[in-house]
Amino acid sequence: MSREAYAPPTLQPQGSNYNSAGADLQAGPTTQYLCGHCNSKVQLKKGDAIRCKECGHRVLYKERTKRMVQFEAR
Amino acid sequence: MPTVVTNEDHPMENAPEAEANVGTNVEDDYIDLNDQRIRVLPGASETAASFEFESEDHTLGNALRYMIMKNPQVELCGYSIPHPSEAKMNIRIQTYEGTTVYDVLEKGFEDLMSLCDIVTDKFTAERDKFNAKQKA
Amino acid sequence: MAPEPISPEEARRRKIVGVNAETVTNVTSTDFPGHYPGEDHTWSLEKFTENFSVQYHKNAPHDAVFSLIGLDASIANAFRRILIAEIPTLAIEQVFVHNNTSIVHDEVLAARLGLVPLTANRSGLNWLKYRRRIPNDDIGDAREEEQKGEGATDTNTVVLKLQIECKWAEGIKEGETDPNKLYVNSNVYAKHLVFEPQGSQSKHFPEPDGIVRPVNPDILLAKLRPGQVIDLEMFAVKGIGADHAKFSPVAPATYRLLPTIDIVSPILGNDAKKFARCFPKGVIGLEYVTEEESDVMGGELEGKAGEEKAVVRNTFKDTVSRECLRHDEFKGKVKLGRVRDHFIFSVESTGQFESDRLFLESVAILKMKCVRLKRSLANIMK
Repeated sequence: MSREAYAPPTLQPQGSNYNSAGADLQAGPTTQYLCGHCNSKVQLKKGDAIRCKECGHRVLYKERTKRMVQFEAR
Repeated sequence: MPTVVTNEDHPMENAPEAEANVGTNVEDDYIDLNDQRIRVLPGASETAASFEFESEDHTLGNALRYMIMKNPQVELCGYSIPHPSEAKMNIRIQTYEGTTVYDVLEKGFEDLMSLCDIVTDKFTAERDKFNAKQKA
Repeated sequence: MAPEPISPEEARRRKIVGVNAETVTNVTSTDFPGHYPGEDHTWSLEKFTENFSVQYHKNAPHDAVFSLIGLDASIANAFRRILIAEIPTLAIEQVFVHNNTSIVHDEVLAARLGLVPLTANRSGLNWLKYRRRIPNDDIGDAREEEQKGEGATDTNTVVLKLQIECKWAEGIKEGETDPNKLYVNSNVYAKHLVFEPQGSQSKHFPEPDGIVRPVNPDILLAKLRPGQVIDLEMFAVKGIGADHAKFSPVAPATYRLLPTIDIVSPILGNDAKKFARCFPKGVIGLEYVTEEESDVMGGELEGKAGEEKAVVRNTFKDTVSRECLRHDEFKGKVKLGRVRDHFIFSVESTGQFESDRLFLESVAILKMKCVRLKRSLANIMK
């Protein structure tokens, strides 16, 4: 549950160079994504470049919820 | 749409062991045995009445209608399902003098039951004969 | 009034439902007291026992064909309707999806799983109790369910699991394109459903033959590609076909009336060949007109010895397509019909029970209905 919990945005001021990976040092929560091309797991923090670290693909998908979902088989 | 989203599974407990050997006949379970499922509709007399059957349909309606119509003391018998979204079936019975609709309906049930016994017996016998012949 | 015996022609007329090119005749049953003056049509068990007969044509576990002869359509139809809608069977009712990253949506997958025919040890299936369906609104509240006594227990619910992940196969050749060689578990089949016995269920559904399993292990449920996972748990319960078709034990149960073909005046030569072609193979045969038939002076076959003539061989195989009624050369020479009280049942079980048992079950259920309702009636009469 904790992984899925909604994290309110921090009130800290953001760095000016929004997209540069190294500069963002604030310890925000990371979110797991899946690369749309190579299916490798990509962990992104707030302000990270939206890009797969393995293949550079720019389409990332959120992982499916870990919650159990109940259906009626009818 | 998912009917529900939860974090836990539904816990499933074992039923008490004593209960385990009760219901061998499954049909007993899905309709409550003690339900009163026949009602006499208003305006009934001894020789003319409409009965309302709850959760019955053409299956029993038509079969019972046939058996009741086979009774020579019956002047009229018919059945209807007044509304398709209500699980109700009505049977109308009118009899000649000298009997009552209740006796006629009861005889209908009895005749249908005895018919079922004959069908079961003859079917079983014929099937066993057929199986034996297939094997030989 | 003493009942007069009816002539064989009249008996046959009453027995046959006429089938014409565009219409049917003599459709309704007339075997009721008071319909024919002076005749007795009162229900008599002795008469029924005498007239009723069963003929068996085929008895495979998943397909039984038999004839019930000598009962009314209302009764035969009751058996058929019960076969389809009122015999309880086990089917998947609830699906708990822990993970599903396949392209098949959860709800679609759940609906597919529900329709998979299951089978198991028969005594186990009979031991299993019916669990009353919980209305949608109540499902969330497990506590309330338990208080009503309709919660899931080992006596009314069977748990199945499906846990499968697709992976790349090892040691694939360069340029391989066959998905069956490229991937492991790329197809999810019904055989991947795993029975999880609860409580005393392992006793009633013994390994290896008695466990709850799909009838056909090769039903394709979903397709996967490497990295995709399906992980779910299922509750199977007993239900009846009236509630949902997945609970219907037959696919399907039907009956038809035995066809009759009456060749009123002879069909000869090439016409006979054409006539035979109007029917499925084996229904119409060809015979040579004999000398005796030919010698009858003024007869329809006079001087036709040696010619081919159409004869009715086996009407059981006929489909009553009415093709022969479309051709002018057969006009007035043939009468089609069906025997009013000869029901050819075809019961195809989906595999949970044998077809012949299902029929016996349907008779038992009809009787059970009467027993219960008679009790209900007694309450009113008191």
